[in-house]
Amino acid sequence: MDMVKAAKELLLQDRVDIFLGYHKLDGHQIPHGFTKARVADLDQLEISLNRYPLEKIACDLAQKDPTLKIGILARDCSQRALNLLYTWDQLNPENIETLTVNCCPSSLSTHGDCSYLKPKTTGEYKKAHGIDYNDSPKDFMAEHDSQDRLSRWMYEFQKCIKCYGCRNVCPVCFCKECSLEHPNLVEPGVLPAEVPIFHLIRATHMAGRCIDCGLCEDACPAHIPLRMLYREVNDAVSDIFGYVPGDHIEKSPFSIIGKTVELTPAPMDV
Amino acid sequence: MDCEFVPSVCSYCGTGCGVLFEVIDGRINRTLPLKSHPVNQGKLCIKGWNLHEYINSYMRLKGPLVRENGRLEKATWDEAVNQAARRFTRIKEEHGPDSIGVLVSAKITNEENYLAQKLTRAVIGTNNVDHCARL
Repeated sequence: MDMVKAAKELLLQDRVDIFLGYHKLDGHQIPHGFTKARVADLDQLEISLNRYPLEKIACDLAQKDPTLKIGILARDCSQRALNLLYTWDQLNPENIETLTVNCCPSSLSTHGDCSYLKPKTTGEYKKAHGIDYNDSPKDFMAEHDSQDRLSRWMYEFQKCIKCYGCRNVCPVCFCKECSLEHPNLVEPGVLPAEVPIFHLIRATHMAGRCIDCGLCEDACPAHIPLRMLYREVNDAVSDIFGYVPGDHIEKSPFSIIGKTVELTPAPMDV
Repeated sequence: MDCEFVPSVCSYCGTGCGVLFEVIDGRINRTLPLKSHPVNQGKLCIKGWNLHEYINSYMRLKGPLVRENGRLEKATWDEAVNQAARRFTRIKEEHGPDSIGVLVSAKITNEENYLAQKLTRAVIGTNNVDHCARL
């Protein structure tokens, strides 16, 4: 069904109070909250190649009014983020309606709307001393010895300007108290960032959380290949627990605090 | 509930990064980088990411204050501007125009900065003018 028509129906039938999509303003494709009062605005609804964390915006709205019914234009990554936010009780699935965007082309549909359809290009210096954006964690582990891997990651990490953009843009970063702001772990107001601990704190917290949307890497002014780092930690989680974050609405193996642990122990030497 | 996004330019330094304010019910709630902006291309520094904080700060000055008997008191714009003009004139007459210096800010517009240096050079009569974003 036509996207605009479907979104209009959601609003007019009162199935949602607000619909989060994109529109064009001053030449920029930016997110917008469409409402029933100005339903005609939906004619300007766009899918937009610029992805913004609409799920994070939905969380902001839900925090202000937990009963608000929210419609979201959802790519595959948004759907994964929503699944994860449901399992961590940040959003109520009963209050969320999604309109799915065809973002990944396949044999059935050749058209796709995603800024990631073209692989990122890695410069020669980065290839020689740092990490290729398009490398897979497993290949990277196989091709380089531990000393080389450390020096390559350190090359990437030491460029960090500690902007906290990776955390700020992340759709699944919702903690009220963030370890990256804990003065005992990360000294406030000190530059350069303490490497590699700053990035490893975030990496451990992304284990079982990261839904691989790539917004952090997009927002990183230092071009650190964060997506690959979090893929690496997530591989460990899926190998040990068989859990892929955001794949289904299922409890994360890490949401066990204060309850009885029912997990079968598994070896850590993956 | 109302939720809209307003593109703007970061006011912290002279680089001019594009930002996007998340406005919920008329109050700025979050700052995001403007992905299609040619200057910052969807990236921001820590100051840009927290741009909404000073807008909502309770310490933000919302009207003119005049120091009377050592205490800052609320005043009208006319009172404040007249008092400033009177005292600057006196300082200039007593100590010369070079006894006054003007520091302008990236938080005001290019045009306002131009006017400030014009005031400094043409009205006060000194070249002591500088800018916080002279990186």
